[in-house]
Amino acid sequence: MTPVFTPEQEGFRQEVCALLCEDAVRAEIAQSRRMPYGQESGLLDVHRRLGKLGWLAINWPERYGGSGATIVEKAIVTEEMIRHGVPENVHSLGVDIVGNAINLMGTDEQKDRYLPGLARGETTANVLFSEPDVGSDLGSLATRAEPDGDGYRLTGRKIYNMKAQHSDFALCAARTSTGPVNYAGITLFLVPLGSMGTVVEPVWNLSEERFDLITLDGIRIGREDVLGEVDDGWQVLNRVLPFERTGLDHSAKAERTLAALREHAPPGCEERLARLETRVRAARLLAWRCIANLHEGKPDEIHSATAKWYTSETAKEVSVAAVELLGSRALLDARDPDAIADGVFDAAFREAPGLTLAQGSSEIMLYFVATSKLGLPS
Amino acid sequence: MTTTIAEFFEGDLAPLVRRMADRPRGEGGDTDDDRRETRAMVWEGLAGLGALDGTDAVSLAELLGSVLYQGPLLDTLTARELFPDADLGQAPVALAVGSYDDQDGTISARCDFVGFAAEVDHFAVVGGARSALVQAGHPSITTRRHEETGRGELYRVDFADTPVTTWAGPVAWEGARVRQAAYLVGLTQAALDHAVDYAKTRRQFGRAIGANQALSFRLAEMSMHVDAARLLVHDPDASGHAAATLAAAADLARTVTTRTMQIHGAAGMRSDDDAQLYYRRAAAESVRLGTPSQLRQPQE
Repeated sequence: MTPVFTPEQEGFRQEVCALLCEDAVRAEIAQSRRMPYGQESGLLDVHRRLGKLGWLAINWPERYGGSGATIVEKAIVTEEMIRHGVPENVHSLGVDIVGNAINLMGTDEQKDRYLPGLARGETTANVLFSEPDVGSDLGSLATRAEPDGDGYRLTGRKIYNMKAQHSDFALCAARTSTGPVNYAGITLFLVPLGSMGTVVEPVWNLSEERFDLITLDGIRIGREDVLGEVDDGWQVLNRVLPFERTGLDHSAKAERTLAALREHAPPGCEERLARLETRVRAARLLAWRCIANLHEGKPDEIHSATAKWYTSETAKEVSVAAVELLGSRALLDARDPDAIADGVFDAAFREAPGLTLAQGSSEIMLYFVATSKLGLPS
Repeated sequence: MTTTIAEFFEGDLAPLVRRMADRPRGEGGDTDDDRRETRAMVWEGLAGLGALDGTDAVSLAELLGSVLYQGPLLDTLTARELFPDADLGQAPVALAVGSYDDQDGTISARCDFVGFAAEVDHFAVVGGARSALVQAGHPSITTRRHEETGRGELYRVDFADTPVTTWAGPVAWEGARVRQAAYLVGLTQAALDHAVDYAKTRRQFGRAIGANQALSFRLAEMSMHVDAARLLVHDPDASGHAAATLAAAADLARTVTTRTMQIHGAAGMRSDDDAQLYYRRAAAESVRLGTPSQLRQPQE
């Protein structure tokens, strides 16, 4: 199904593009991709601009800083931000994942407290799920939340999360009880960062954005900071995951890299480019099918898994193909004065491995489709 | 000779060699100077053990790839073939590929992605109808290090009326391509070994991840491809198919290192893990002598 946009939505897309094409915005984006090694941007002026217009979290209610629009308008903003090269992790973590979870499952008090700052582009948040020994198998996480008066004390270590140094708070998964089913007994907490009881250490990696190792050393969390029900974090995640796994971010990244590749590829690459172009178009259609499902209030787990797998694998393939087709020129990073396409190929190549790991690895998506769609034995 | 050099790379030296030209970015650790010292020490060791003799160079190149050696040795071997009469001693040489103007015994050229330009004694400027050997350090030569995915020692080098010390004919690429292919086979095997080790030890869902056939079969398939590629590079007729063999080894290196990253999960992205090092090095080394499609064009 080809996404069909209303004239209003098409007009809105043009408005977003116009803003993102302004010279000052383009300069800020370029600058953010040329920061000295070891530094990275947090929220930018462009986020605050979009926030002020009520576009950054456009599908949230107006009282929380949105515009009361639909998930389609939100997806248009996300797609255009990525197509125009706005560093997106700080936005997707804060608004699309944590903010969205609060919007869907939070109490009125939590929404009042957290959503307006996120929607204005003034605060951000990150996600504390993975642990040193826990990746795809979230059910086996070891971080504990021990009752303490009318609240909890959190103890454990979280790793491979990003943007903690820029985040005001985090959505943290911790075990509140144990039982025969390891997915039960997990609770999600909204945890302030930068306070006593949390230690953030950088974990350097090949991408532009560092990981963090966060030690939770008995930080006290109130009962009011539980998102959803105690012991019921798995249900919250299942509710939120279809929003996280539309694949739209990956399809937009693939489009951006492919557009640059088409511009710089030497003669003789036409057939390969045509194959990639078809894959990227299919990726976008799979992503927008998920958006349409969400818009209709009918999230489909198999569609989500398909989109997540296909779009992330496609984005990775385009990134690796750029090195193959362009050769050494593709390797110059944005900081090299002779970098082509502002270093997009180098950045995409170094980002690529994470795309098929984060938000549910390709293997988890394949397993899900094999068992749930095809009915193969687990 | 290769066995002795393999022993030289074992033990405490191995982890230093893997990062001997990997510029740290914000993460601290060894400095550029530390790594330069390692490179100087490794060069001395290799030269002393006969690596410049040119005998069994394909096996040597595979060994160098397997330890992720980074330095001017492969370029130097090619230059020594090209300028057999030049008195190079044990001096390191960098290949500088590009088109150039020559007159009155000098050359002017701009060459990108020249390896180890800041620490070689000579440049072999190749790519035209003639090849020129020039002395490094001449004031007419300027260098600038590239900022690139491999974080290695690659430079833009500008030659402006640089005096030529020796002329030769055009470079015959076959030997260099087979050695580069062998280097990539060594690198690919090392990346695969790293992935296999991880698959045996990393546990998720109550068992080693390598117990999943989806993963173990993929590893087995890759090991068979590496096996096949190794036979291609050691085939007595390898130089007759050098470009195609290098293209195949390059494709395999990118595929295996990309899958090694996936198997390692986020841990493989860490700067202190070798998975990302293999991934980045494979990207740089796999296109060093041309892209696979360039290599697969009918050769002159």
